Amino acid sequence: MNIDLSRRSFIKLAGAGVVASSLGSLGFGEAEAQELAHIKPFRLTTLTETRNTCPYCSVACGIIMYSEGDARNGQAELIHIEGDVDHPTNRGTLCPKGAALKDFVRSESRLTEPKIRRPGSDAFEPISWDEALDRIARALKDDRDENLVQFNEDGVPVNRLTTTGVLAASATTNETAWATFKVIKAMGIAGFDNQARV
Amino acid sequence: MSPKPDPSVISNIATPDFARLPDPARLFARRAARLRALSSDARLGPYLRFLADLSEMLAGLAAELAPPAGVDAATIARNRSVRMPPIDRAALIRSDDMAAIWTAVLDRAGGLAMPDPARAALEALRSAPEADRQALLAELAADRVPEGFAAPAAFAAAALQLAASRLAATLDPAQLVPIRTGICPSCGGLPQASIVTATIQLDGARYAACACCSTQWNEVRVKCLCCGSTKGIGYRAIEGAAEEAAIRAEICNECDSWVKILYQNRDARLEPFADDIASLGLDALMRDTEWRRGGFNPFLVGY
Repeated sequence: MNIDLSRRSFIKLAGAGVVASSLGSLGFGEAEAQELAHIKPFRLTTLTETRNTCPYCSVACGIIMYSEGDARNGQAELIHIEGDVDHPTNRGTLCPKGAALKDFVRSESRLTEPKIRRPGSDAFEPISWDEALDRIARALKDDRDENLVQFNEDGVPVNRLTTTGVLAASATTNETAWATFKVIKAMGIAGFDNQARV
Repeated sequence: MSPKPDPSVISNIATPDFARLPDPARLFARRAARLRALSSDARLGPYLRFLADLSEMLAGLAAELAPPAGVDAATIARNRSVRMPPIDRAALIRSDDMAAIWTAVLDRAGGLAMPDPARAALEALRSAPEADRQALLAELAADRVPEGFAAPAAFAAAALQLAASRLAATLDPAQLVPIRTGICPSCGGLPQASIVTATIQLDGARYAACACCSTQWNEVRVKCLCCGSTKGIGYRAIEGAAEEAAIRAEICNECDSWVKILYQNRDARLEPFADDIASLGLDALMRDTEWRRGGFNPFLVGY
């Protein structure tokens, strides 16, 4: 193939110089100039689409979160959430709770820090993570010491703690789900849900 | 019904077809109609009307010509076994069908209304030696427009698109295999844009549209069609009602390129070729950024 040769013959035959764009060289330069002049004052808006996992239940549906601004810099406003068609679990579908996720994220009463309602109080107040975790550990230990069932009616040894329930996150890795299962089941807790269940 | 239970079936949600093959007569007729609709109130009107006339001519040819000889089964099986597309574009441009279309396009394009530079390019093509015309086709078949050839390349690309889509139409979609991200499974061509589809059974699946044979193939969303990266993907739209923007640029910070993405679930009228041309404003704004255009469109040279 000798493209230089072809170009020479075209240029000679067409009698035209080298024009960069399709529109210009086909004779639509005026339309192109009008479009360019029209678009010049406009700027580009940054949008982001981010894959994530619905946090509601252990099915762990895939979602696509649309935001305006650059989510990678933390400077984005969430504008829309929809099911991820490419996700094998839900293939783009969402349940009514999942479909309302945007309101969940932007809810005024969304929990963003640990809170406690102390005995006798009618309101939640913020509490530090350290204090919250210490109190949870204390309460769990006290409850297990008091209510652990060690033998069933037939006198067979069991490890059964039915007075505590645990709901774990859905958007975790296999490793986190495995570790969660080991910790909770070792304590004898039966009322337990995380995505390792499914 | 399969005797085996399939837990992946969700209600009436269809599994996305891997590939949608073109129906050339309908494809070019729809393209022409969309171009004409877009031309009525656009500054690019004259160019869109010219392309609408050209597409109408291609639709007419597609309806008239006898179907081409398909790719032989042995070639399909061999290429499939090594994950190559069944259509060899280097062979396509030398085929009898291509020659007939080339002649018909050069002949009938003369009857279309067009500015003098376009007509001069057409005349130059008609009188150019056959070797030169083949050289130009070979460049287009490799998804390149040689510098300075934008005008003759438009006519050559129109002929190649018709020939390639007619051959793609003879393929069996079940025989196509994924080649690589951003590579057409029918002809190995580059995408001109991707579309997010909206049908009753399937909302939100993304298909890349081949710039050469117009096959559409399923690609994962939020993924670069140039390098296959899922990291560093962002979007740009023309400011103002960006939330509603149905045409966006999908940018990739890994390979510094961008490809247009059209959301048919926001505007069902979008047609990959026509709206790629009509949204030239987005290309103009993206031209001033650090990202280079990754979608191939031989009618948008210079962007």
